[in-house]
Amino acid sequence: MNEISEQFPPRGASQGLASCHICEKVSPISDVKCRRCGSHLHFRKPDSINRTIALMIAAVVLYIPANLLPILTIRELGIAREKTIMSGLVEFWQMGSYPIAIVIFTASIMIPLLKIFSLLWLCGAARGLIPCSAKVMGKVYWITELMGRWSMVDIFVVAILVAMVQLGNYMTVTPGPGALAFAGVVILTMFAAMSFDPKLLWDRLEQKTSPDSNISDCE
Amino acid sequence: MHVAESVSEGYGVNCARCGATLYQNRPASLARVSAFSLTALLLMTVVHTSPFIIMDAGSLRTTLTLPGAAHALISQGSALVGWGVAVFTILTPLVLAGGLIYVCVPLLFGRIAPGAMFVARWISITEPWNMIEVFLLGVLVSLLKLGKVAELQFGMGFWAFGILMFCMAAGVAAIDKKELWDRLEVAKTHE
Repeated sequence: MNEISEQFPPRGASQGLASCHICEKVSPISDVKCRRCGSHLHFRKPDSINRTIALMIAAVVLYIPANLLPILTIRELGIAREKTIMSGLVEFWQMGSYPIAIVIFTASIMIPLLKIFSLLWLCGAARGLIPCSAKVMGKVYWITELMGRWSMVDIFVVAILVAMVQLGNYMTVTPGPGALAFAGVVILTMFAAMSFDPKLLWDRLEQKTSPDSNISDCE
Repeated sequence: MHVAESVSEGYGVNCARCGATLYQNRPASLARVSAFSLTALLLMTVVHTSPFIIMDAGSLRTTLTLPGAAHALISQGSALVGWGVAVFTILTPLVLAGGLIYVCVPLLFGRIAPGAMFVARWISITEPWNMIEVFLLGVLVSLLKLGKVAELQFGMGFWAFGILMFCMAAGVAAIDKKELWDRLEVAKTHE
């Protein structure tokens, strides 16, 4: 017996019990499908770390065009100006709208980067490459999952401007390719956070204290 | 792993390992979900038909509605992004509110609706993709951009959307999802 298993109640996977990923009912893994809602049963989300990393790589690749390509084009009296996420932010800052500039900076630049770094950190910790406290990591995961949606705010701003600023020859706004790339980044990082299983962090912690534990093979 | 014990209304249980809340028995859960979701569904009809913002620039007047914003992107060559906006702000809230009503109202009378398990699965899947509060932030940011260009007025849709956002949040938060599944399971075995 090790310190952790003495301190806490036993874990389900060590007794052949799995919690359904949809409805969270605990059933024996031999049932194959959840008796309550019919979802497939797994001890841990299938192929969790590989899927998370694959989705993260796709998000990182898309992050480049998302920031370099214009998210919208403004045509004012025949003169076209292309706006990227960064130039929109700078404009708000120069206008003196600091609170809005900070909101845009947080949602469009800080959150996607933080998500990418924290998910890589979590994957490293679950693989045992980075030392971690599962309690802190569990919180990091929870925050990562919670804040992802707010990055979509810039896409909605583009949609609203395109819908409203159709003033004939005076001024029109059209969407740019950067908007598609940025929406892709947000959606991919959301899927990446969903495919990560925070229980893997506890498996790693358990394994460290008792090397004979086999829970880490459940993935 | 913990053995689930029943808790009295208004209380919850925490995990001994990581401290996360495991489940809560929230007060009058089914009645509150049904009431908030029904209000949300009714407000959606107002939100989708009346304008959020009315903009006057010289002799030109443009208005903003939710379907209008999605449609503008689709017709201006960003069809994928437009459909995304429609899914996250129109379809997802509709599935969530409609699904919760479909599942919870019969449960109030101790009955289970046909296909309720299937609908409940879809409620779990769509929940993280509901972005109406993010859209409202988008409206506020846009107001500042547009304020320089033209004269703006809030429409009925804007106020209805504010209340809709509150009702959706209150409806989703009124019931612990584990309680919902437990109630479905009990109703099914008593059928």
